[in-house]
Amino acid sequence: MNRTNKNIISTSGLIKTYRRYKKPEGMRGSIASLFHREYEEKTAVNRIDLAVQAGEFVGLIGPNGAGKTTLIKMLTGIIAPTAGAIDVLGYYPNDLKNAFKKQYAVVMGQKSQLFFELTVNDTLRLFKEIYEISEDVFQENKNYFVHLFGVADLMDVQVRTLSLGERMKMELIVALLHNPAILFLDEPTIGLDAIASRQIRSFLREINEKKGTTIILTSHYVEDIKTLCRRTVVVNHGVKIYDGATDELFERYQKNKRIIVAFDNPLGTVALKTGSAKLVVDEPYKKEYEVPRQNASGLLAELMGHEPKDITIEEEEIGIVVERIYQEGGGDCHA
Amino acid sequence: MSKKNWRVLRELFRLRFHGLTVFRFDFFAPFFVDGSLFLIQLLAFGAIYSNVETIGSWGRGEMILYIGTFSLLNAVNMTVYFFGVTSIPHKVRSGELDLYLTKPVSPLFRLTFERISPGSVPLIVMSVCMISYGTASLDMTLSAVRTASYLFWLMLMEILYYEMEVIIRSASLYVVSMARMEQLEEAGIDLCMKLPGIALYGVYKVIFYLLLPYGIMATLPVQRMIGEMSLRGALYGIGVVALFTVITYEVWKQGLKHYNSASS
Repeated sequence: MNRTNKNIISTSGLIKTYRRYKKPEGMRGSIASLFHREYEEKTAVNRIDLAVQAGEFVGLIGPNGAGKTTLIKMLTGIIAPTAGAIDVLGYYPNDLKNAFKKQYAVVMGQKSQLFFELTVNDTLRLFKEIYEISEDVFQENKNYFVHLFGVADLMDVQVRTLSLGERMKMELIVALLHNPAILFLDEPTIGLDAIASRQIRSFLREINEKKGTTIILTSHYVEDIKTLCRRTVVVNHGVKIYDGATDELFERYQKNKRIIVAFDNPLGTVALKTGSAKLVVDEPYKKEYEVPRQNASGLLAELMGHEPKDITIEEEEIGIVVERIYQEGGGDCHA
Repeated sequence: MSKKNWRVLRELFRLRFHGLTVFRFDFFAPFFVDGSLFLIQLLAFGAIYSNVETIGSWGRGEMILYIGTFSLLNAVNMTVYFFGVTSIPHKVRSGELDLYLTKPVSPLFRLTFERISPGSVPLIVMSVCMISYGTASLDMTLSAVRTASYLFWLMLMEILYYEMEVIIRSASLYVVSMARMEQLEEAGIDLCMKLPGIALYGVYKVIFYLLLPYGIMATLPVQRMIGEMSLRGALYGIGVVALFTVITYEVWKQGLKHYNSASS
């Protein structure tokens, strides 16, 4: 094991491969497959080295199927690695020791640990017993989080009647009730509107700063990663292609902005003076431009002269950033 | 069972009860459905045994006791753990098991007791009535020792019943589809509920006494109750339960190592 005193998560050469059955086409293939099967190996996580120190807030990003969730599942012990060393809080996670499981929590955006027909208070009581939390600590933590999340009036209503954003707040309360040292979050803001996402981000920041909880966050949203994580790990096809400061990641690889302009009156193609701006959507009432970040303000000033009705500025999506890192050979900037 | 598990069990029961009371139809329906199924079963047994005087050395009284005993084992199963254990394949396929594995309580313990069904309690009452009727028809004197040892064997066989259920559902940790195994279980239980182990010979005895030991589940407690149990039979029963306890533990433990979790 590669664990140092500082690192609470440490992996070395971590590999996870899955065996997939390849079904031949047609009736003949189906019959043949009854007697002889062909399998292919898919490497979901490939030789990942990772070290996380206590109190860090680490973003884990990558496109669909990159291996983020598989990595989280190995770190939490849900699945066993195929090869490599893994150490979380001094334990081999897949041993599934209760002493280990008491020290972390996991929230999966697409899986709920709440009982839908019951109230959150009901679920909390069960988790109090499962985590063996004393009544004093239970009340103290519950009050703290209920106040922090502003959900006092929702604790006694059926979970199924809550909105997605409210439900995610409850998932976080349930997860944080036992003061975990590490919180694993797998797409916690998936499907949430802008307001709910912002609230969740604000709570997570407070928990990380005030309680010192180490947080590992996977997300498809640039905003989540940019506003919360000082450090980001990028994985693609199971391989770590970047591990370093989040600011530097987006500074280096998020090169363009997308500017969407709507007009009240129809407008033909606009001849622009701003260099490198690329027109990607050209409609009478709407234009979309892709422009290098440093030229965005110039383009905006120019577009203002055409009396726009509305202007939206978007950052490049994580997928594009990952693709660019991959094309440019990536980097490992983490000291 | 540890103090913690008792407290978790109490909470699981409380949650389940609250959950069931949310929908009144779901709460009351099992009382009616299970009661009706039990009566249908009684009619079937009545039809079968109205023309049969003896099976092996057992007469009508022993058979009533046997059917009551099997019904009781089944009723306890339905009340306490059936719905929890049978949910295992679904939890595995959907990836819901992930959330059980990350909690500091045995996933199997939580799954087992998470879906207790109070609606099946009348089945227990009806089965006890049938057992009482059986003992009355045999003109049996129920001493404390006889009753205690009958209860001991009932408890042992209930454990075996549970272990068989878990082993079969644990297959879902190794293979994707396992519907046929559940059918095999249903057929085994169905047969052994109607036919006591003493009527089985040859290959059937090997199958239902060792491989799928449903044949001994109600037979041994009844044999103890009517004073027919030999020392060899008792040792065999204890041995089978011990063997299946080890198998259950290993199949479940190794199954969790095989668990790949559904892609989210």
